Amino acid sequence: MSPAGKKENRSRLIGYSLGAWIFGIGLWQAVAWTVTAARGVPFPTPWECVTVVWEMAHGTVFLEYTIYHHTLVSLARWAEGFGIGLATGLAYALLAGGWVPVRRVTMPTVEVLQVIPGLAWIPVAILLFGLNQTATVAIIALTTFPALAIAGVMGVRSVDSHYVRAGRMCGAGPCALLATVFLPGALPHLLSGLRIALGAAWRVLVAAEMIVGSGDGLGYAIIQSRWTMDYASAFACIAIIAALGLGMERVLLLPLERRTVEHWGMSHDQ
Amino acid sequence: MTNDPILELRQVRKVFPEQGRQEAVVALDGLDLILNAGEFVAIVGASGSGKSTLVDLVAGFTQPTSGTVTVKGKPVRAPGPDRVVVFQDHAVFPWYTALDNVAYGLRRQGMRRRRARERAREALCQVGLQDFAHAYPAALSGGMRQRVALARALVLRPDILLLDEPFASLDAVMRSRLQDELTGLWRQFGWTVLFVTHILTEAVYLADRVVVLDRPPSGLRAIERIGLPRPRNRLDARLAEQTEELRARMGGSLDTFNGETQAGQRQRQEERYYA
Repeated sequence: MSPAGKKENRSRLIGYSLGAWIFGIGLWQAVAWTVTAARGVPFPTPWECVTVVWEMAHGTVFLEYTIYHHTLVSLARWAEGFGIGLATGLAYALLAGGWVPVRRVTMPTVEVLQVIPGLAWIPVAILLFGLNQTATVAIIALTTFPALAIAGVMGVRSVDSHYVRAGRMCGAGPCALLATVFLPGALPHLLSGLRIALGAAWRVLVAAEMIVGSGDGLGYAIIQSRWTMDYASAFACIAIIAALGLGMERVLLLPLERRTVEHWGMSHDQ
Repeated sequence: MTNDPILELRQVRKVFPEQGRQEAVVALDGLDLILNAGEFVAIVGASGSGKSTLVDLVAGFTQPTSGTVTVKGKPVRAPGPDRVVVFQDHAVFPWYTALDNVAYGLRRQGMRRRRARERAREALCQVGLQDFAHAYPAALSGGMRQRVALARALVLRPDILLLDEPFASLDAVMRSRLQDELTGLWRQFGWTVLFVTHILTEAVYLADRVVVLDRPPSGLRAIERIGLPRPRNRLDARLAEQTEELRARMGGSLDTFNGETQAGQRQRQEERYYA
């Protein structure tokens, strides 16, 4: 591509992302004005949120902790639950993908798990672990697991039999086959599953914190702000959650995708 | 070339059991075949003649329904690095570089990474890919990918090299180049080669012996020794002569051999194009 063409693409890119920002923020602003005018209740505007976030960023104590504490606690819970779901989901996918009886017997249950909404796990988790952190983490893990397990099984089954044969004739045993053929071969599907799981786990974390009452975390902060009528703070927390959720996909998934399946010519659009 | 039999197939029969609405298929029925060490044997046959099944059996991917397949006197039970296959395509792992693809088999034999990469590099040199060691298959052409597959096979120093229509998805120029490189390497290393193709000209040009397979119950139609000296010349009139003779022996033409005229015509066109 010529430098001129590249430059044009770049300015177009900037134009579009600017447009996207204006659209999103503008819509919010419009809703805020409409609601305030029509219903007479103060609906936080984007600008109010920015000022609240700004204050929070300076370490104002908010619901007994700083916003950093709330965010980090939420991230840690997410990481723990997501990690457990990821590890078990992957292990299950390799096992069930490679061994037909296991898949036939267990897959229906996993599929049932997948259609259960995250919030429905709350009573189950409370019964299992009581009203505490473990329940929150369990809900996240339970949301992550089926998304990854199903995508992983599909991925393992989609691996071309020629690759398996090539591996076997080179002397790969079952373990080596899993690690060197099935896992990389399943990666395109696994990444799709990872994308779904990432978002779902993050969403359910916030919901779980709202109900399983942990005393800190972004979800807890949102629900508490509502009781204290501090809607601007609640909106600020929502904005932080959205930004982190988007950021995680950009920071974790896109580079992984770029370094693996795109590099190997295995991404879905190729 | 020695005359010790290295591969023996005795009364090999392979039936694929019926699946759902599909009836049971007899792929091979009572096949006898012996390959001597260092020999280059080509198997020609139309689709359905069981030539790929033959490769699968020798490689150990499947077991015969009845009869025996033995390599160096031992029955084949499972795939192994002593019998390596070069597939038509989907042969090399897209998630490894050319170098790691070639080193893969050595690593699975427990060789240390460093030593395996050294050997892999040598093998890549032998197929002329020394400059592409760190390229991923997606960045290589079809011909280059088949060279990687060839290097991955030869680095294991197999007793028998099995090639299942290895050049079928390549263009004519690349096909003839790789044919010559293959015979060059074969002459250098003295493997035993079983080369499967559906193109008679290719078989006659490459092989010491050409085995013609047909759908069961006809089965083995002919085994023809190609006594032409090497290196061979594509334009050698004797090549065309032997090809035509073989074609004639198979019941007049490949048209009847194929069972359907159109396929036969297409095949003839293909042969003119590729040879």
